[in-house]
Amino acid sequence: MISIVVIVAALIIIAIDVPYLKRNKLKKERWAFTVLLLIGVGLSIAHIFHLSLPNPIRGINTILQPLSNYLYELLT
Amino acid sequence: MLENEKISVHQFRVLVTFFTIGTSILVYPSVLARYAKQDAWLVVIISIGIGLAVLWMFSKIAKLFPNMNIAQMNEKVFGKWLGKLFTVLMVWNAFLASGELLYFSGAFFRINLMPEIPIEVLHIMTALLLVMAVRIGLETFSRAAEIFWVLFLFLFLVLFFVIPEIKFQHVQPVLENGLKPLLFPTLILLSFTSFNAIYLLMIFPAHVSNPQKAQKAFYIGLIIGGIITFITTILAILVLGAELTARLRFPVYLLAQKINVGEFVKRIEVIVATMWFIAVYFKMILYFYACCLGIGQILNLKSYRPIVLPMGMILTAFASMMFPNVVEQQQWDIQAILILSIIAGGLLPLLILIVGHVRSK
Repeated sequence: MISIVVIVAALIIIAIDVPYLKRNKLKKERWAFTVLLLIGVGLSIAHIFHLSLPNPIRGINTILQPLSNYLYELLT
Repeated sequence: MLENEKISVHQFRVLVTFFTIGTSILVYPSVLARYAKQDAWLVVIISIGIGLAVLWMFSKIAKLFPNMNIAQMNEKVFGKWLGKLFTVLMVWNAFLASGELLYFSGAFFRINLMPEIPIEVLHIMTALLLVMAVRIGLETFSRAAEIFWVLFLFLFLVLFFVIPEIKFQHVQPVLENGLKPLLFPTLILLSFTSFNAIYLLMIFPAHVSNPQKAQKAFYIGLIIGGIITFITTILAILVLGAELTARLRFPVYLLAQKINVGEFVKRIEVIVATMWFIAVYFKMILYFYACCLGIGQILNLKSYRPIVLPMGMILTAFASMMFPNVVEQQQWDIQAILILSIIAGGLLPLLILIVGHVRSK
């Protein structure tokens, strides 16, 4: 039910931006727009259905943890 | 890709000030007090000093490349591919930072003001405002910042009503354990205010009408923002004490709840919430603007505007998902984002400065 809201929001965004892009024949912009919008819709729907996506925050934290621990120990 | 937009020096100063204040009104005092105990106010003073040095470095970079934003500087200095890679790092960092601020605004309203509304709805409301501002453009939101700055100062005076509650024994003894415990919190504060000010280089030399004067405005903006951070931090510690400040998530909100002038002026903490929202909103705009402009630069788009709305959608979804709980958010604040902003806002500009100097000779 809520995912319909996401689709409607995406349609509104398309209605706002695409006519301008079409009129001025901005092809690259249209591609960037489409890809980003698809990512946005995908993420929103994944969030609504509680799909567990890999969280980049956790990944970055794991990679950088030794470095930050070292920094913390150096400074305290 | 350069937008033909110019803002005045005064508008730039207000933007720098809002950028420096950012979350400091509500969140920083707690983080600082956790490490520096009753000396948290000293941390703010030290970090203003070091922050000025960092900004000096930024303005040197701006002098090397007038009429360019930081993304173009990257490409000019490091060549096309390496430059784009560094810009990707910066954009990613800016995206994470704006996502975190969006999360913060949602969490704050959810916890303190509107506990029955789902947090996603709050995120969407704020994100709508954010996307609107960035889409309309730099000139417009700078003018809005100018207006809100007056309101902000007016509201800030309210905080001084808490002065009768001050107990000076809360800050004593000063420097109980020497200067060393102050280093780490200084780095945290620097990473949020001065190092991340690299995103202001998306605006600074190219879009400000008088770069010469704007350089001074850069420093003055930092100092004003630092003073406001200082006042909130020291009031929180003087009234609540270091222990309680460190334990709370939003200490200044409780501080405002303590205001009681003659049993008449009380329960005015919403004013602090308004103030905080104004500051966070403009900081969020600057991050998100840098993010969208950077993506536009990476992909060589003619304008960044078409990608603002899709990016807003991604940001909203991301902000709702990024932190499953508070503990992870607090860890993120002192671990990963600290390193990321030191790299993107400290080491990278240093590299740009050195390579740029060598190349220009």
